Amino acid sequence: MTGRRPGSGRRRRVLAGTHLLLIGLSAVTLFPLVLTISTALKTSQDVKVNPFGLFSSFSTENLVTAWTVGNFSDYVVNSFLLSVPSTLLVLVLSTMGGYAFARLPFRGRTVLFYLVIMGLLVPFFTYMIPLYFQLRAMGLLDSLLGVNLVLASTELSFGTFFMRAFFSDLPPELDQAARVDGASEWQIFLRVMLPLVTSGIGALAVFTFLKTWNNFLVPLLYIPSGRYRPLTTGLYLFVGGRSVDIGPLAAGTLITILPVIVLFVALQRQVTQGFLSGAVKG
Amino acid sequence: MTTTPSTAVAPPHASVWRRGRRRTTPSHQPPRSELPPATRRAQRRLGVLLVTPLVAIVAVFLLFPLVNAAYFMFVDFNGIDPNPPWVGLGNLTELAQDPKVWTALRHNIVWIIVGTMAPLIIGLWLALLVWGARSGGSAYRLIFFLPYVLPQVAIGIVWSWIYAPSRGWLNRALEAVGLGSWTKGWLGDPDTALYAVLATAIWATFGFVFVIFLAALQNVDMDQVDAARLDGANAVQRVRYVIVPQIMPVFLTVATITLIGGFAVFDIVFVMTGGGPAGASEVLGTYAYSSAFQLNRISYGTTLALIVTVVAIPFAISLNRLQRRLSLEGMGA
Repeated sequence: MTGRRPGSGRRRRVLAGTHLLLIGLSAVTLFPLVLTISTALKTSQDVKVNPFGLFSSFSTENLVTAWTVGNFSDYVVNSFLLSVPSTLLVLVLSTMGGYAFARLPFRGRTVLFYLVIMGLLVPFFTYMIPLYFQLRAMGLLDSLLGVNLVLASTELSFGTFFMRAFFSDLPPELDQAARVDGASEWQIFLRVMLPLVTSGIGALAVFTFLKTWNNFLVPLLYIPSGRYRPLTTGLYLFVGGRSVDIGPLAAGTLITILPVIVLFVALQRQVTQGFLSGAVKG
Repeated sequence: MTTTPSTAVAPPHASVWRRGRRRTTPSHQPPRSELPPATRRAQRRLGVLLVTPLVAIVAVFLLFPLVNAAYFMFVDFNGIDPNPPWVGLGNLTELAQDPKVWTALRHNIVWIIVGTMAPLIIGLWLALLVWGARSGGSAYRLIFFLPYVLPQVAIGIVWSWIYAPSRGWLNRALEAVGLGSWTKGWLGDPDTALYAVLATAIWATFGFVFVIFLAALQNVDMDQVDAARLDGANAVQRVRYVIVPQIMPVFLTVATITLIGGFAVFDIVFVMTGGGPAGASEVLGTYAYSSAFQLNRISYGTTLALIVTVVAIPFAISLNRLQRRLSLEGMGA
């Protein structure tokens, strides 16, 4: 397992065997994805005859059907309309709050911090039902504003927790030096501290975007009319509507996961970091 | 040691994590006496200004609905009546006598036990394999972690094809190895529906556990492992007595996370079976949802959801305590 003599034949065989095993396991892990891509790219005739055969034909007709007839072109736009503003809101508010909780003494700071991070302990479905009636009373059901605010609120606890840790790690000498130079508290925050936590903000941005993009329950519950239906709930309702027609369904699935995969592969480090720290949320 | 860039990920995450758990009060306290009163005033003002929008949103969209949930518990709200009748503990006593609740709870417990143990075991095993493979770490991390970032709706859909009764890949694979008699519609059979969904959830989570363990293994003291080998410990003994104790705090943290997740499970069951067939895969989350939104029993559903949280929190706290004690004992984290 932890050989020190890479030259010896037995060691090398063990190593090769380990890689072979890992490659096999990788193939099993990736199989559902391969199946999705294969099914999405078949002809509709082939889907009927041989629904799960791998790469037995090639056509983009399922993608076209999902995009046009299946309304996935709208869903993509809506997914962005729900993910981008809520992510931006989370970034701004978490950075502000994280800084204040880490470095600015004010009355009630500890209590407020606990209130904010309580969301890490409480699963969303605990309060999803009363929230529905609250949003209805506030006139925020079916609205971009309401759903964005709710999506942001589900990620704010973690965001604040995450950003506070970054600000806490900065040395205390920094603001003292800036203060000696005559910087105001605002300038210390914006000009001195903020540039030093950009890597944290970046990781939080990618992570929050993925979480809001993948969110299923919030749009399912709070967009009852389907006016701003995103990919996740669109995909779910598509299953109910045409359960037999798996070609366009596979295409819709592919459209839903493609941005996630691209983002993950391109920014693997940031995504992993976010999810690992996000682990506290469970 | 492997040369995977995982160390680039591990330290910030580890420090974020530990700080949040051990030091509960904000750590950086500017030396008060050195600051002039004007500065302290300016800091106070800015602090309040910066947290106000955050606290406002959390109060409106998290705290208020939570308080409301507690109120819903004691009334019988049907979604329309603005002044619902007070029923006291009526929802709770009904809940205790509802056999569906106990069935759902049993499913949650199965989910928690299997859904915690399996990813832990698979994740640790894979992490040890990749650790021992000494190369390709970042590629394996990418592949095994990928399912964890995908939306659960998409995962549910694709796995329901794999479980499909006719020509689904699981049945085909069974036929190929001579177990043709085992084939069935995995999600439609009450005996297997829960486990089929659970297996999908395990597929979606083991990579997360794997990445955490792989990062933790980078900090294992190799001298101890080598010493154990010289003392004649075989691979299994080295893992059991030398490596696992060193990563125990991480192990418990991960167990806490998957355990809380086990109480709160919803999306994947909802998408794949909706709790069916005939309640065979019903969990507390899906039962709360259908009570509230399909049967209009708003209060009953809310009570259920609240109870799940109340039950889950002591487990999480005790595991967290154990983890903290172990890491304070200097066993490394």
